[in-house]
Amino acid sequence: MTHRPYTPWLFLAPGLAICLLFVIFPFLNMIVLAFTDASALGGGQFTGVDNFVRMAQDPKFWAAARNSGLYLVGVVPPLVLLPLLIAMLVQKVVPGIGIFRTAFFTPVIASTVVVGLIWTWLLDSRGLVNNVVEALGGSRIGFLTDSTLLLVSSMVVTVWRGLGYYMVIYLAALANVPKDLHEAAMVDGAGPVRRFWSVTVPSIRPTMVLVAALSAVNGFRVFSEIYLLSGGSGGPGGASTTLVMLIQLTGRGLTGEVGYASALSIVLFVILLGLLLVTLKLNRREDQL
Amino acid sequence: MKRRTFLAGLAAVPVAGCGLSGTSSTSTGGTGQVTGEITFQTWSLKPKYTDYVNGVVEAFQKQHQGTTVKWVDQPADGYLAKVMADASAGSLPDVINVPPDLSFPLAKAGQLVNLDESLEDAKPEYLGNAWQAFEIPGKGGCYGFPWYLNTGPIFYNKALFRQAGLDPDKPPTNFRELETQALKLAEKKIAILGQTPSIADFGLYGVKLFENDKFTFNAPKGVEFAESYKRMYDAGALIPEALTQNYTGAGAKFMAQQTALNSGSAYDLGKFKTDAPSLYANIGITTPITNTGSANMFLHGVSVPKSSKNQATALAFGRFVTNAENQVKFAKLASIFPSTSKGGDDPYFTTEDGTDEARVRVAAAKQLKTAVNYTPVQFSDQMREALLQQLADAMLGKKSPKQALDDAVAECNRLLK
Repeated sequence: MTHRPYTPWLFLAPGLAICLLFVIFPFLNMIVLAFTDASALGGGQFTGVDNFVRMAQDPKFWAAARNSGLYLVGVVPPLVLLPLLIAMLVQKVVPGIGIFRTAFFTPVIASTVVVGLIWTWLLDSRGLVNNVVEALGGSRIGFLTDSTLLLVSSMVVTVWRGLGYYMVIYLAALANVPKDLHEAAMVDGAGPVRRFWSVTVPSIRPTMVLVAALSAVNGFRVFSEIYLLSGGSGGPGGASTTLVMLIQLTGRGLTGEVGYASALSIVLFVILLGLLLVTLKLNRREDQL
Repeated sequence: MKRRTFLAGLAAVPVAGCGLSGTSSTSTGGTGQVTGEITFQTWSLKPKYTDYVNGVVEAFQKQHQGTTVKWVDQPADGYLAKVMADASAGSLPDVINVPPDLSFPLAKAGQLVNLDESLEDAKPEYLGNAWQAFEIPGKGGCYGFPWYLNTGPIFYNKALFRQAGLDPDKPPTNFRELETQALKLAEKKIAILGQTPSIADFGLYGVKLFENDKFTFNAPKGVEFAESYKRMYDAGALIPEALTQNYTGAGAKFMAQQTALNSGSAYDLGKFKTDAPSLYANIGITTPITNTGSANMFLHGVSVPKSSKNQATALAFGRFVTNAENQVKFAKLASIFPSTSKGGDDPYFTTEDGTDEARVRVAAAKQLKTAVNYTPVQFSDQMREALLQQLADAMLGKKSPKQALDDAVAECNRLLK
């Protein structure tokens, strides 16, 4: 059989071409644009690090970075723990369990816009939740009109949407936990809680790190939830705007500041890269232990 | 934002008839021979107006043998992105449907044909105010054929007015009355409005919006207007969502009878009839709230990019599609109005037949004669966002209305550069 060194490249070529055209080139272009005052209609002038200096002095950037950071803190712990608990519940083979698994997974495949609209109707000042609160004697809560509550509401939607996806990942991991370990622990008198902490968690720790990394990246890049719940405004006074939303608001339209939006995108990229590197390091340390 | 209300309405109006008979075109003007292929891009006219547009295209091709018009319709969602991508690549269609605020950045970037130079005789065929909307203020030149227009009446909920002890036959006609009645409604825990004021509302209040290449809506009159809204907000006359909501949200709240008053268009009446019959039973229709005597006008146009390889044909088609005859036919299919100086004389726009729809239509057509497109063409999406955010801060008491407007104007002027 003849070995032709270029054969693998022929197989790779279509994928590489698409990657170069739609990922690498736009990424490099973004880096170039970040150092210009480009608008949607023109290449702009080279402005050095002006965009980054402006960013450092821009209160909107700091507010958006803080909101994205808060989002990360707010969604990662529940998205690491809750899907695990649900996975353990639905792992058991009992009649009708498929219905529950499907129910938990449905939000994952539901359209983001539809999910956003449903939650908007629920949390609106005259929505279902507020009607129930009022019927119970409470006063209406500004879930979507108070900047802090809007952020919290978005986090709830993100967690709700993510449960099913991470549940499936955990189900796969749980299936690989040896049963004899649990049986041995039971023989030694370990109860369900002890078995969870001493058998289940150590066995699926790499998966938990993976879920933490994925949910952290997705949480920091949040856009749809906050955009839909705030009607595209980023909340009253734009106080709930996240970094991705700020990029969209800055760069959109024919009059968008593409140069500044590119600079913001670079900062977002660096933060996300940092997050992934930290997770990778944590994962390696786990492997070494 | 209101532009999209208008469009959404237009896209949703059912077609009552279709096709166009042979039409007589106006003179084409421009230089070069009217021949060859051009592309015509519209904003969300398919499938409701497919037959109408195809009819126009066929009539043009019949009148100008040797021409081919390729019609491309883009959905409203992503229209801006499509124009942006085409403009950046220098590949805009030969004839493109744009409202004034989209034509402005394109014209400023030197991408559109100046009609005042290319078709000197076209201007008198259109309403002066509509033609003016496509000019670059202070620099002259017109960069789009005015196409369809709209202006809205004010709709109000008579039942809610009655509930607050207000005379349902005396809705507010100016902003002073609006505040008085809003505060009265608020006493009964009824909100009158679902939105903070748009830039056009400042214009309707009588605020000078733009002067000497700068935004000026933070003038004392503008501050007075924002303070009036602050008083209304504090009293509960605006729903909490008003701080973040756009036109669509405000319209939905009015439909749900959570607010007592909303601006709209002739199209909305049909929507109330089918989607909110209990509101329709109590609907009040009145003239726009204005301190200037002129209503606000929304309009669309068609522009010809300089990059068109067939400019003479593109200009001829742009003029043809917006001529009086074609516009009147289009207006009869949708709840819109022609922007030509002759189209408005059609009995359809001047005679009532006893129905609410005709009453709104005739009133709107009358209003359009003096209506003004208050939104400055320079006012971009980012500026709209800045104004909304600053007004929200003012309503929440985070800053004074004056400070909020000063900050909004500073941001708008920065974005202008």
